[in-house]
Amino acid sequence: MGRFDDFDAFDDDPPEADHDTVGLGALARPVRLPLLITGVAALAGVIFAATSTADFTAHLDRQVHAIHCSVVPGATAEMGESGCRTVMLSPYSSWFRTQYWGGVPVALFALAVFAFLAYRALHLAVKGQPRRSEVFFLLAGTALPCLMSGIYGYLAATKVGATCTVCVGMYFASGFAFAGALVAFLLTRPAPSPDPRAVKQFALGFLEGCGFVGVLLVAYVAFVPEVKASAGRGPAGCGTLVQADDPGGVFLDLAVRPGATPSIELLDPLCPACRAFDGRLAASGLDARLSQRAVLFPLDATCNWMVKTSLHPGACAVSEAMLCEPASARKILDWAFAHQEDLLALAKTDEPGLRKQIMKEFPGVASCLGSPQAKNKIVQSLRWAVANALPVLTPQLFVNGRRMCDEDTDLGLEYTLTRMLEAKP
Amino acid sequence: MNPVALKALLALPALLAPTFMVSSWLRGAEARLQASDPAAAEGEVAIASVAEDAYCTPRLKSIVRRVAGACGLLGDSGRGCQPMQAKQVAQLTDDEFNALFRPLAQRAHIVQFDADQTDLDTAARGVVEAAWADQRGASFFFVVARASPDGKTAHNEELSAGRARSVLDHLIARFKDPGIEKQVGLLWLGEDFAQLGEDFCGWDRSRKGEPCTVKEINRSAFVAWIDCAI
Repeated sequence: MGRFDDFDAFDDDPPEADHDTVGLGALARPVRLPLLITGVAALAGVIFAATSTADFTAHLDRQVHAIHCSVVPGATAEMGESGCRTVMLSPYSSWFRTQYWGGVPVALFALAVFAFLAYRALHLAVKGQPRRSEVFFLLAGTALPCLMSGIYGYLAATKVGATCTVCVGMYFASGFAFAGALVAFLLTRPAPSPDPRAVKQFALGFLEGCGFVGVLLVAYVAFVPEVKASAGRGPAGCGTLVQADDPGGVFLDLAVRPGATPSIELLDPLCPACRAFDGRLAASGLDARLSQRAVLFPLDATCNWMVKTSLHPGACAVSEAMLCEPASARKILDWAFAHQEDLLALAKTDEPGLRKQIMKEFPGVASCLGSPQAKNKIVQSLRWAVANALPVLTPQLFVNGRRMCDEDTDLGLEYTLTRMLEAKP
Repeated sequence: MNPVALKALLALPALLAPTFMVSSWLRGAEARLQASDPAAAEGEVAIASVAEDAYCTPRLKSIVRRVAGACGLLGDSGRGCQPMQAKQVAQLTDDEFNALFRPLAQRAHIVQFDADQTDLDTAARGVVEAAWADQRGASFFFVVARASPDGKTAHNEELSAGRARSVLDHLIARFKDPGIEKQVGLLWLGEDFAQLGEDFCGWDRSRKGEPCTVKEINRSAFVAWIDCAI
């Protein structure tokens, strides 16, 4: 890698010869091709980043939309669960989440950077005979998306547990762009004497890149949708609890924090959305400001008369276990979340087998699981939802007795919860 | 081409195209957001409620309401189930009364007692507990106690009242549920109203496998959750 003061001292105006050579008297080197590769890779990055940004911004209307989840540009968007949806709803998909509903998507920054790199690479390729300092700047610029790809790939694998195919497209685009820039840099001969303008031009290029990011960021912030705070929307919440007390003794302590804002989460231990919500809440860090209690609402027809078919078979058994041993409720819940797919699959074919597995894992519940007392507790838990006329869905979060609107439980969680916590009870 | 012009020619589209796209997407989201009605979306989701099963005929609901009212289960008047004339409450013939409960065959349990006794044996306690735990979305738990025709009518009325009370006392002791007394309706019929026929021996009862005649089946308390919204 050349040093700054090694950069050649060509003028901005290229020599007359219009060919891919660098340096006076140097051997002809095909530098245009790798620059074009970088440009095309950056354009591919623009397409992937734009797709991801478009999917993200579509959800700012607080509704559910199809998401593109393919490395093939123009592929049809999909409804339902996918790695791309999981990643998009994760707290790592955007920044400034407490300031703006949903935050500013990371893909927006990627879009700005790829657009900038595409312009720089194509500019060098078109004008021909780039100076080494210019190619070095391009190489440094392409290193940024590579670095971010590494970080986000790591987060996706270790924290989110899902892969976003469109993001993978961006990872590859970053890699090709960097590879092209590297080859172009290696093919560019060092200048015979240091270029006194190199540092200045590097700084100007950096500012130019920041300008791309800044313009897109300002446009985003200027147009990001907002709703007026009113009952039934946003931080005002969607209703309040009629019966906030616990006559049936069914509240389970998940994380009681003295002095924190009281919250109640209506959840189903085998509900994937509850698990995802729990993860988002923990990742937001806002859970530390909540004194968390839970009321169980298994969406399993075995015990819940309000559902005609079992959405989450086995949820009644796991709920019974949690109510049998309230002191271990959090532990049992974490276990159920960690093995959710396996437990659901087992319960679908062998519900008694699931109960055996619960008893094996938590021997303390063995004498209670399946008993009339345990079943009665489940009924009391469900009837708490009836007493409060709650919607038949999970998860639901109540902060100081106010229900967080369903539309705010994913992308808008940090924004809405922060404001609900700041509101007076 | 002029180097500045070339740069501008490439830089401007690279900057303006994404900016225009992003602002356009955001304006679209804003328009949809303002046009949406969150209340409508919330309205599409079912609301948690008590059960209302198909067997909840107007007649059955009328009886449930009368018994619940007589026992103080409705409103805030507090519990005060008084001995009453079942015939007056039901305003039905014996057969009509029993026919109302036949659709509960899968939901009801018959708790059997020894002759001239009101105590629950082990099996009876198990049946009562299992029945109570199977509440699901039901609002009222009916205990309809009877006595066989042996002995005097007045004594049998007291006997059936004692049997109904035994069931309630056991539920209170076992489940310690503060809502129990607002959910349990007691009805004691003695020997002179709506005696069970031998066909009820085939229902779920606490002395399965033991001989069952009209006498045995009427030394009992019929317990069931009623899945009717009153």
